[in-house]
Amino acid sequence: MKITSALDSTSLTTRYPKTALLTTLFFMVALPFVLYLVLLLMLPFNRPEALDAVAQRLGWDLAHSTFRDTWYGAILLVEATFVALYTAVFAGVTTWVERRIAGRMQSRIGPNRPGVFGFISWVADAFKMLFKEDLIPAEADRLLFRAAPYFSMVGLTLPFVVLPFGESVVVADLNVGVFYLTATSAFIVVGILVSGWASNSKWALFGAVRGAAQVVSYEIPAGIAIMVPVMMAGTLSMQGIIRAQGGWPWQWFACQNPAAFVAFFIAMTASLAEGNRTPFDLPEAESELVAGYHAEYSGFRIALFLMVEWANMWIMGALAVTLFLGGWQIPGVSVEMINQTRGTDVFPTLVWFGWQSASLLVFAIKTWLLVILFIWLRWTLPRVRVDQMMSLCWKYLVPGAFACFIFTLFWVMVPASVHLVSGVVISLGVALLLVKFALRTRKNIAQVKGARVDLSNW
Amino acid sequence: MPETVRNYFGAINDVVQTFWQGMSVTLSHMFRRPITIQYPDRTEKRVADMLPSRYRGFLEVDMAVCTGCLACARACPIDVIKISVDKDPANPKQRVVTQFDIDESKCMFCGLCVEQCPTGAIAHTREFESTVRVVENLVFRWVPDAAKPVPFYRPVKGQDAPRAPVGSLMRVYLASQVWAAPAPDWAAPGKDKG
Amino acid sequence: MAETVERRILGRMSPSDEEIVINFGPQHPSTHGVIDFVTQTNGEIIRRSVPDIGYLHRGMEKIGETVGYPGFMPFTDRIDYLAAMFANEGYAMAVERLLKIDVPPRAKYLRAIAGELCRISNHWVAVGTMASDIGASTPLTHALREREAINDLLEELCGARLTFNYARIGGVSFDAPEGWGEKILNYLEHLESYIQEYDRLISLNQIYVKRLANVAVISPDQAIAYGLCGPNLRGSGISWDARRDLAYGAYPDFTFDVPVGQGKMGAVGDCWDRYAVRVLEMRESAKIIIQALAKLPEGEIMAKVARKPKPEPGEAIGRVESARGTMCYYVVSDGSEKAYRVRVRTGSFMAMGIIEEMSQGLMIADLIALIASLDVVAPEIDR
Repeated sequence: MKITSALDSTSLTTRYPKTALLTTLFFMVALPFVLYLVLLLMLPFNRPEALDAVAQRLGWDLAHSTFRDTWYGAILLVEATFVALYTAVFAGVTTWVERRIAGRMQSRIGPNRPGVFGFISWVADAFKMLFKEDLIPAEADRLLFRAAPYFSMVGLTLPFVVLPFGESVVVADLNVGVFYLTATSAFIVVGILVSGWASNSKWALFGAVRGAAQVVSYEIPAGIAIMVPVMMAGTLSMQGIIRAQGGWPWQWFACQNPAAFVAFFIAMTASLAEGNRTPFDLPEAESELVAGYHAEYSGFRIALFLMVEWANMWIMGALAVTLFLGGWQIPGVSVEMINQTRGTDVFPTLVWFGWQSASLLVFAIKTWLLVILFIWLRWTLPRVRVDQMMSLCWKYLVPGAFACFIFTLFWVMVPASVHLVSGVVISLGVALLLVKFALRTRKNIAQVKGARVDLSNW
Repeated sequence: MPETVRNYFGAINDVVQTFWQGMSVTLSHMFRRPITIQYPDRTEKRVADMLPSRYRGFLEVDMAVCTGCLACARACPIDVIKISVDKDPANPKQRVVTQFDIDESKCMFCGLCVEQCPTGAIAHTREFESTVRVVENLVFRWVPDAAKPVPFYRPVKGQDAPRAPVGSLMRVYLASQVWAAPAPDWAAPGKDKG
Repeated sequence: MAETVERRILGRMSPSDEEIVINFGPQHPSTHGVIDFVTQTNGEIIRRSVPDIGYLHRGMEKIGETVGYPGFMPFTDRIDYLAAMFANEGYAMAVERLLKIDVPPRAKYLRAIAGELCRISNHWVAVGTMASDIGASTPLTHALREREAINDLLEELCGARLTFNYARIGGVSFDAPEGWGEKILNYLEHLESYIQEYDRLISLNQIYVKRLANVAVISPDQAIAYGLCGPNLRGSGISWDARRDLAYGAYPDFTFDVPVGQGKMGAVGDCWDRYAVRVLEMRESAKIIIQALAKLPEGEIMAKVARKPKPEPGEAIGRVESARGTMCYYVVSDGSEKAYRVRVRTGSFMAMGIIEEMSQGLMIADLIALIASLDVVAPEIDR
């Protein structure tokens, strides 16, 4: 590309609009669609019996073949790869969403040149990071330095195994699903500690130690708050908890029990702290520690750390949606209705697949709304200090979570009609608060002289 | 005891209130127009034409009205203006300017030179964009060829000097700049104070 | 040379086995420039933090001895580029005293208007960067957005957005353009509502308040002992403002309050007080500008001064209330057209002295809050 002068640097998107559009459509539509399709078509047949039946139908006697276990293993590996791909794509798309939302909230535009609406910027960033020099500090512990991002990635990808994307779309519906999720997502802190230590940098060490203190402390209120919906549902299985709720807001656990409503906010706050998001981003406080525990990382290693941070938001959001907000339950549609459309054949009917896609969509929309809420919180609030973070955890969240827990112990003995009444009351209350919030937002624009609603300048 | 309880729940209430306020402010900004000016390709006109007239951009010299007084070179605190004057070989009564170089890479755009000029020959334009590969090529040479010197302008009493519109000469100059031009073979102003 | 300084500073550190000595800077996003704070910490608690300055020394005072009196004016911009109008004005006042000339009243008013606009612009940066250091990035861009409007106004006035070179020895360089006054009044109408929105976004945000209240409380005696000035001094409750108490320029013609820290969210003299003083000062500046525009006298904008002034041998001081504190210019003339000595005393340099004492017992995050609340700018410290 010959540059004749600096003023000739119109972006590639402006010069090749059709290519830009096609690339954007590929990454924005085709890629997620393919991933979702794979999830939709492969995950309902995850168990060995289902796989045998499908193979039988397709004319292949898998049940009696010699390499049966190897074939199962291979199919599961393929599914796991796609789920991990999904993690990566999600992390990338979230960076785009975050940067655009952050830009708009800060009276500026986020990335808007690569691809249509700047959508390819995350792909470009990923490629750029691949090509960067691989720097390891001179005195760093080489083995641990290189291994640290992988610890965090393990903590990131393992929880995806139990996330219930749809009614029958889950990789493994463990009957200790919630417990498994909180246990494996805590593995991320191992990566933080190892990276902070191995970097041989005092700044990284500060960040790592803060991170360890933070994540370990906030496991407690998170765990207790999570016990509240578990008690209400009577099971630790993610799908079980969702099946105990319903589609309409007054059937969600967050509304059915005032203590669960409070526990929802406690769980969200604890999740923010575990995911190192502002207001709890002390381990990587940019203005103090200049990237904290991943200060010495560059190139693809730091891309892995950042991917962990962003995809972790999906896990936090999915957990909250599953436990408190009704998961994939479609308003007005009960699980029996969906089961009735399945049919008796090995391959379910298209209607059944339609309902599965609808539940996938409901789950995705709810999780995205929570992720956008996390992004919104990040760009509004300042950071808390270390001792304030600790006092918040131990003096406010832990007693609050215990109080919710004990309240729920009694609440589950109360008849179901009271649950329904509470559900209706709390949903109406929340709806009213949302309306009030919208009015307050509109008043913000009206109060500032010279400001008005203007969606231009993308 | 009631004091502590009041403080405890008061603190929670304060935090919730401030969340409410802060988040409504940032949400309202989502719907307001960002102030970014998407330079250089998505502006209605050239940014240089949107600047106020007093903007202190690159210095332009209209040699036709330069009186050769050297006031600008003397006013510059960092000596980025290099002017050489001589007697016209053809006409000894007439004095000429054989070199008028301004090193824009060092200029701090303070405007002290512009204030001292009696005719307004040297003036700030609204141009600010110039990129060249070799930094010495950022010396703007207003007498491009020493073999063709420019005679001093004699101001006429009671009349303003007929200066070209500010910016017209600069646009021509910038258009003729070549990005990959090789390094020149003379010293920039300030380097050799001869 | 640097090694000796560093060894001297490190010699004051005496870390025990559990403490570490860590460098805050010189490359750091929150030190407001290139300053190094050599810090001895025990985990998160700081035992002592000593500023190591000089990374941005450019020999400004030496330049003042070589470029002549009018030539030094653009360099004063670069001593404090965020409050450049005051830097210009202070130097001009000192040289005008040496030359024993009077500035025309219109020039004094224009200096005051431009100065107060510059003060609002500087305080937007100060509060924005303070919020960003505490972790909220959105208020920074909002503050810079507001500051852009002032940059545009001053660009219309003198042609530059940051290093104005506006004041001259004997007056100012440009007169107010057509319609400039109306534009300023329009902006100031918006300013009040923007400040209120900003307060709701960050100033009264409980997380922010809890980060700043009761942190690094500077008592009035300490403030005076360490020579603090400007909003740092007023944040500790001392009401001293050079505009009112030294009565220079056009300021005697205006009525305005001098906000002081009142300990609204914590103790008097904590970081929040210094922050609040800056926000309140923006409102006072707006008041001054409105009065000045209403009363702007006609007339000349420059007194008669030689092209290369040669003052009689002597010395003079020019003091202005810069956005960052009282800025003093001490100019000594030996009769030639180049100054014999130009000495600049800036608010940020004085603020460096108190950091070592205040830092003892603070947490790292609090040290950041302290530095941000003192509103230091590295070029002012090192010149």
